[in-house]
Amino acid sequence: MISVQGLTKRFGTQTAVDALSFEIPAGQIVGFLGPNGAGKSTTLKMLTGMLVPTSGTATVCGFDLQRDPIEVKRHVGFVPESGAVFESLTGLEYLEMVAALYAIPEEAARARIRQFIAFFDLSFETLTDKLLGAYSKGMRRKVVITAALLHNPPVVFFDEPLDGLDANAAVGFKALIQTLAKEGKTIVYSSHILDVVERVCTRVIIIDKGKLLLDGRPDELVAAHNSGSLERLFTQLTGGEELERRAEDFAKTFRP
Amino acid sequence: MNPPPVPKPPVIKPAPPPQAVLRRLFLTLFLRGRSSRGLRKSTAPQSIGTKLTWTLLIYGIFGFGVVAVMNGQPLFTMSLFLHSTTIIFLGMFVASSAGEVLFNKEEADILLHRPVASRTMLWAKVRVLVEVSLWLAGAFNLAALIAGALRADGGWLFPIAHAISTVLEALFCTGGVVVAYQLCLRWFGRERLDGLMTTAQVIFAIAVVVGGQLPRFFMQFHGFAQLNVHTWWVSLLPTAWFAGFDDAVAGSGAESSWLLAGLGVVATAGVLWIAFGKLAEDYEAGLQRLGETVSRPRRQGGGRRWADVLASAPPLRWWLRDSVSRASFLLVTAYLMRDRDVKLRIYPGLAPVMVMPFIFLLQPTGGNGGGFGHDFGVAFSGAYLGLVPMMSLNLLQYSQQWQASDIFRAAPMPGPAALCNGARRAVLCFLTLPMLVVFGLITRLMHHDSTTLLLLLPGIMALPVYSMVPCLLGEAVPLSKPTEEAKSTSRGLKFIGVMMVSLAVSAVAYFAWAWGWFWWLILVEAVAVVVIYAGMRASLKTLQWSPAE
Repeated sequence: MISVQGLTKRFGTQTAVDALSFEIPAGQIVGFLGPNGAGKSTTLKMLTGMLVPTSGTATVCGFDLQRDPIEVKRHVGFVPESGAVFESLTGLEYLEMVAALYAIPEEAARARIRQFIAFFDLSFETLTDKLLGAYSKGMRRKVVITAALLHNPPVVFFDEPLDGLDANAAVGFKALIQTLAKEGKTIVYSSHILDVVERVCTRVIIIDKGKLLLDGRPDELVAAHNSGSLERLFTQLTGGEELERRAEDFAKTFRP
Repeated sequence: MNPPPVPKPPVIKPAPPPQAVLRRLFLTLFLRGRSSRGLRKSTAPQSIGTKLTWTLLIYGIFGFGVVAVMNGQPLFTMSLFLHSTTIIFLGMFVASSAGEVLFNKEEADILLHRPVASRTMLWAKVRVLVEVSLWLAGAFNLAALIAGALRADGGWLFPIAHAISTVLEALFCTGGVVVAYQLCLRWFGRERLDGLMTTAQVIFAIAVVVGGQLPRFFMQFHGFAQLNVHTWWVSLLPTAWFAGFDDAVAGSGAESSWLLAGLGVVATAGVLWIAFGKLAEDYEAGLQRLGETVSRPRRQGGGRRWADVLASAPPLRWWLRDSVSRASFLLVTAYLMRDRDVKLRIYPGLAPVMVMPFIFLLQPTGGNGGGFGHDFGVAFSGAYLGLVPMMSLNLLQYSQQWQASDIFRAAPMPGPAALCNGARRAVLCFLTLPMLVVFGLITRLMHHDSTTLLLLLPGIMALPVYSMVPCLLGEAVPLSKPTEEAKSTSRGLKFIGVMMVSLAVSAVAYFAWAWGWFWWLILVEAVAVVVIYAGMRASLKTLQWSPAE
């Protein structure tokens, strides 16, 4: 479903993504992990057609990213980390606008939006009356997730999707993406909440400084490195050792 | 037995095309603003909608005044004057709005992964810019459409011809801005987009103001009679092409009018073809550039930024003793130099306003380099400088990151006085002082006499008072208001008010200079400024935070 070969992105002299290669078949939930600045968001932006790669190729649903970016965009959904929305639109105006961009007729879009708001426990009145600028972070995130899934894309990229969601919504969301994967959708899930990734994802890809470090099933990787948990494996690989001791030392500097 | 009727499948209304969806989206965003603090849909759009209504009303009244003045002139001259004024309005509007509309950073995360071609997005945005431009142009030209229809040399064809030529002018103007951006992107690369956009907008704003003023100056120097369709150099003025269209269709129908009209149509078509045909891919590149996060090259040796160094050394160190003022000074300086959104509001806003003193200063001096026009021009330039801190501080209130200003209220400060003082000083240092130096140099070069520079003094001395006014009006807390509030008609009225005061101050300065009372004037002004400034400072110190919404 997703095929990436030697994908590279340079910003001036800085290499954000360095010759990344991987394949993701349909129906997998892949955790895409890395420390801050590892190149995760840049990779996702390239795979959604928002950024042009400096070199390398990628295909999504058989469409070449460089030759056919509009078809790629038609087949993917994306929840960006920023959770940006047009704040001066109401939730309904925003979702109907997004639906129209995917050529979904208004009536069909409305029916689909109703399904989503029922799932996310949003009221239709809130969606029609309140401007998005006045939504809480969690409500806004629900709207952004709805906007990403509205056109029923076969591939969905999530960049920190749980940011702002309350515990109930997060549980519901995790169940949702697992069901979507069972129905054949490909999910790429980028997050720093590693215990969620460990529970939800069937495979993890860990990158650092734009390069691929590890790729495999979370339980197999944890066992192979004898690290006990994905979190510990992650800190081992990305140079986060002695964090507890450093935190203690730093906290001591606050003593009066 | 007849078979039961087969129920007709429900007719599903197809989704509108992306072009229409995006046009509606961008128009809504323009009218409501891009961010909203309003809780309900019914309360949010009022601010900009109401301001726009007032703006249209003021333009309509202004247009009526222009028609009253120009009504006795031949149709071509009246039309040329109308188009010249219209292009200033349109150009200023497009120059100030294009950056936000064409290259909006937040938009990248929302729209760039949707299946929409960048050309479609560009068309939708340009259509909104043209549409709003036409509202402004329509309001200004309304009186002219009626007056033209009633003229003997106009008739019923005039409103039609003038409406078409105004649409052409709006397309030419908007297309020109798009081409300017695209050429900058093509020639200088995406990496320098932020800086280039500001430069392009400043140049465009100045070009439309100077271009719009040219016919008026030709009229002043050569007389109205010289400004007709048969004068060869008239064809060099883009506004004359559109006036030629009116004259060709509804006026004299002269061959040269048709030639000018043809030039207008060809130039507009050419600009649009270049913008949407040849250079559209550069726009896509520019949009993608907004999604990139480019880290700046690290400074060698971890050195401090120049503004920090400057603020830590005398004389600024003495002026910025208070830590809050110093922090505010550095914040404003950083935004003046680095923030695309702030730069796009400040510099294109200031540049066309500053054209006026240049026009006064650059008039030929004649034999001895003096005379009323020139000495008055120098005094006027000095007095006009007060507009720089007033306008800049007013515009510096607005930022896309306005919510970050909550930290000002969270900090242990009773009011915004220290923040305002820092912002005021940054504006005086980095915007007003360079302008003063330029005015001084031009005065020196044009007059060959250093004593004329003294005429700048009355204006310079009034600067502390001018710069205090926005602080006391609560309009100088930097980066604390959402950007949609920046679209204000009251700023135009304040601008006219300050211009009147500048004219009065410069007239007094000129006559005091001519009659030998100049130093008495300086003495009186010095005393007045000290007293007023001390009072303003005391008031500012007691200023409390306005209630947060």
